[in-house]
Amino acid sequence: MDTNMTERTSPTQTKWRKVAYGGMQPGFDDNHTDESFLEEMVTNANVRKRDMLKVMQDSVSISQYLCIVTLTGLVWIYTLRSTLNENSLLLLDVTLLGLGFLILLLTQEMFSLNLLFHYILNISFFTTSLYLLAPIYQTLTRSISSDSVWAVTVSLLVLHLFLHDYFGSTIRTLEAPNNPTLTSCISLNASVVASVFMASRLPSSLLVFANMLFSLQVFLFAPLVTYCIRKYSFRLHLWFSFSLMVATLAFVYTLHLFLFVMLLGLLVFVTVVCPYWLIRMQEYKFEINGPWDEAKLCFEIVD
Amino acid sequence: MGERKRHRILMVSDFFYPNFGGVENHIYYLSQCLLKLGHKVVVMTHAYNNRSGVRYMTGGLKVYYVPWKPFLMQNTFPTFYGTLPIVRTILIREKISLVHGHQAFSTLCHEALMHARTMGYKVVFTDHSLYGFADAGSIHMNKVLQFTLAEVSQAICVSHTSKENTVLRSGLPPEKVFVIPNAVDTAMFKPAPERLSSHEIVIVVISRLVYRKGADLLVEVIPEVCRLYPNVRFIVGGDGPKRVRLEEMREKHSLQDRVEMLGAVQHSKVRSVLISGHIFLNSSLTEAFCIAILEAASCGLLTVSTRVGGVPEVLPDDMVVLAKPDPSDMVQAIEKAISILPTIDPQEMHNRMKELYNWHDVAKRTEIVYDRALKCSNQNLLQRLSRYLSCGAWAGKIFCLVMIIDFLLWHLLQLWKPEEDIEEVPDFVLSHDQDEGISLDNANHISR
Repeated sequence: MDTNMTERTSPTQTKWRKVAYGGMQPGFDDNHTDESFLEEMVTNANVRKRDMLKVMQDSVSISQYLCIVTLTGLVWIYTLRSTLNENSLLLLDVTLLGLGFLILLLTQEMFSLNLLFHYILNISFFTTSLYLLAPIYQTLTRSISSDSVWAVTVSLLVLHLFLHDYFGSTIRTLEAPNNPTLTSCISLNASVVASVFMASRLPSSLLVFANMLFSLQVFLFAPLVTYCIRKYSFRLHLWFSFSLMVATLAFVYTLHLFLFVMLLGLLVFVTVVCPYWLIRMQEYKFEINGPWDEAKLCFEIVD
Repeated sequence: MGERKRHRILMVSDFFYPNFGGVENHIYYLSQCLLKLGHKVVVMTHAYNNRSGVRYMTGGLKVYYVPWKPFLMQNTFPTFYGTLPIVRTILIREKISLVHGHQAFSTLCHEALMHARTMGYKVVFTDHSLYGFADAGSIHMNKVLQFTLAEVSQAICVSHTSKENTVLRSGLPPEKVFVIPNAVDTAMFKPAPERLSSHEIVIVVISRLVYRKGADLLVEVIPEVCRLYPNVRFIVGGDGPKRVRLEEMREKHSLQDRVEMLGAVQHSKVRSVLISGHIFLNSSLTEAFCIAILEAASCGLLTVSTRVGGVPEVLPDDMVVLAKPDPSDMVQAIEKAISILPTIDPQEMHNRMKELYNWHDVAKRTEIVYDRALKCSNQNLLQRLSRYLSCGAWAGKIFCLVMIIDFLLWHLLQLWKPEEDIEEVPDFVLSHDQDEGISLDNANHISR
C-alpha cells in the first residue's frame, strides 16, 4: 500500500506539471512556484472606461427631475399662501395635461386616436373619483399638527427622490411594457402619500382637488413625458432640462435666497462634482478573476 | 526512524467526526498516517450534541470535543478570546510543538491559531476551499484569512488553483504555500467484483443538491441525455433545496423509470451506490479539489466533470472527461464518455488510483512542511505587530489591537494559573505489532 510515486516516474521527465495526482513531482518541492503561477488571472476584465462629458450628460436627467419636484413644491407653497387660487390652479392642470398629450403625440409614433380616446376615458374616470374623494382628503389630517405633517411630507419626498428611477428603465412605454421594481413602486407611493398629506392642509375641497390633480399629474406622468423627450432627441432633452433648471432657480430665488443657494449647490453637485468623483474613483478599481471563481450559469433558472 | 524528529501536533477545526465531509475525512486520515509515522497527534474540535470531552479513536488518536456549542453551519460563535484558556491548557497538557488548523471558515481554527501564535507556537494552516473576490461575504472572509495567515509559519493548499487563490487572498509569499492534495482510501472504494452489463449505461450523481454543486445544470442535462440515449439511466444521490427542481424535471419529461432519486446517501453507503454505475457525473460550479471524483475513480467509474477550480488537476486526462459548465457542452462530454466507455477497465483504473493517491504519501509530504515550520525563526511581539500593521489601513490597526489584547490576556492567565500547575498527560503508546493490525478501513465504524 505504501508505494511512493516519486520513485516510479522516470527521472528524464523533469518538466513541472500543474497536476495534483501522482505524489510529489520528482525534482520539485511541494512549494514549487512555477512560471505559470497566476497565469490565468485576469484583472479588471469588466471595467468600462467612462467619459466625463458622457457622465455629465447622463446626470442631467437627475437634475431635471430634481427641478420638476422643486417646482411642484413651489406650487404647493403658493397654494398654501393663497397666491394661486382654484381657477388658476385648474387652468394649470388643464394646460399641463394638454402639453403632456401634445408631447406624447409628437414623439411617439404608435399614438393613434383610439389610444387617445382610451386615455381620455381613463383620465376622466380618475378625475371624477378624485373630485368625489376630495372632501375626505381635506379632513384627513385635521387632528394632526401642521409640523408633523410637514415633516412627514418632506421625508416622503426625500425618500421618493432617493428611490426614484431616474433613467426610466421601468417605465411602461407603449411598445415595451416593463415590470416595475420594488424600489420604483415604493418611490411612487411615497410621492402620492406626500401629495395627499400636503393637500389635506388646504382650506377648500375644490382647492384640494385641483392640487391633488396637479401633484398626481406630475408624479405619475412627468417621468413618462421626460423619457419620451429623451428618446426622441437627446439635444431637445438637454435644452428642455436647462430651461427647466433656469426657471426653477428663478422661481426659488424670488421665494428665498437660502433655498436658492441650496438648490444651486445641489444641482452643481449632481451635474459636476458627482461625475468627476465617479471618474476619479475608477482608478481604484481592482477586479480579479480566475479559475477559482464560481462558474456562472449561462441559462435562466425558472422556478 | 530514530533520528527523525517526532512532532507533537494539535489539529484544530470545527469540522470533525461525527460530522461528515471532505475536511473531516482529511483530518482523520492525515492524523492516522502521522500517528503511524511516529508522531503524536491530538485533534481539537467543538462538541457535537452530547459528544463532549475527550475521546480516543483508532490508533490512539485523541480528540478533544471542547464544550462550545456550534451556532451556524457547525461553526462556533466567534468570541476572539473565549477559547484562550482551554487552548492554552491543551497545548501545555499535551506538550504540543506545532498547531495545524484546517478550513478557512472554521472560527475555532482561527481563534486557536491566534492564541497559539501569541504563545509562540509554530502554526500551519490548510485551506480547503476557494473564494472569489467580488461579493461581501468573500471580502470579509479574505480579511479574516489575511489576519490568520499574516503570521502563519507555513500554509498548505489542496490544489494548485487553490494555492493561487490563497496567495492572492492573503498576500502570503508563494514559497510559503505548499500544495498537498487530498487522497482517497482505495481499500474502501473497490470496484464491483464483476463487470456490469453494457446494455444499459448507468450514470451516477452523488452530491448535495444545491446551487453551488450545479444542480441546475443537472436539470438541463439529464433530459437531453435521456432523449439522445434510450439505454441510459441516472441514479441521483443527495438531498438539498434543489431536489424539488430535479423531481419536477423528472415529472415534466416523464423519466420516473429512468432517473432514480435516492435522497441523502450515508458515506458508508457511497461505494455501494457508486459501483452500480458506469459513469460518474460531477456538475459543481466551484470546487477546490473534489474528493467525490477520487472515490468514483477508485471504484472504477469514468468521470465526467465541469472544468472548474482545481478539478482539472485531480485526474490524468484519460480518466476524466471535462466540460465547460454549460448544458450543451456537458451533454457532448457525456456522449464522449459513453463512446470511450468500452475501453475502460474498472479494475485497472482502481489499480492506477492506488498509485496516484495515497494518504501515507500525503502524511510524508505534510511532515516536510512541519519540519520547515519548526525551522522558522522566533519573533518577538513588536516584530509580529509590524506584520499585522501592513495588512491594511484600518484592518492593520484592528488586527494589532486584537493581538495586543490577546497577549495581555495570556500573561494574565499565566499569573492566575501558572504553567507548572497544569498537569502533563502521559503518552499513550501503542505497541508496534498492535499498531500494524489497525487498518484504515475500519475507521468509520469506530467513529460513528
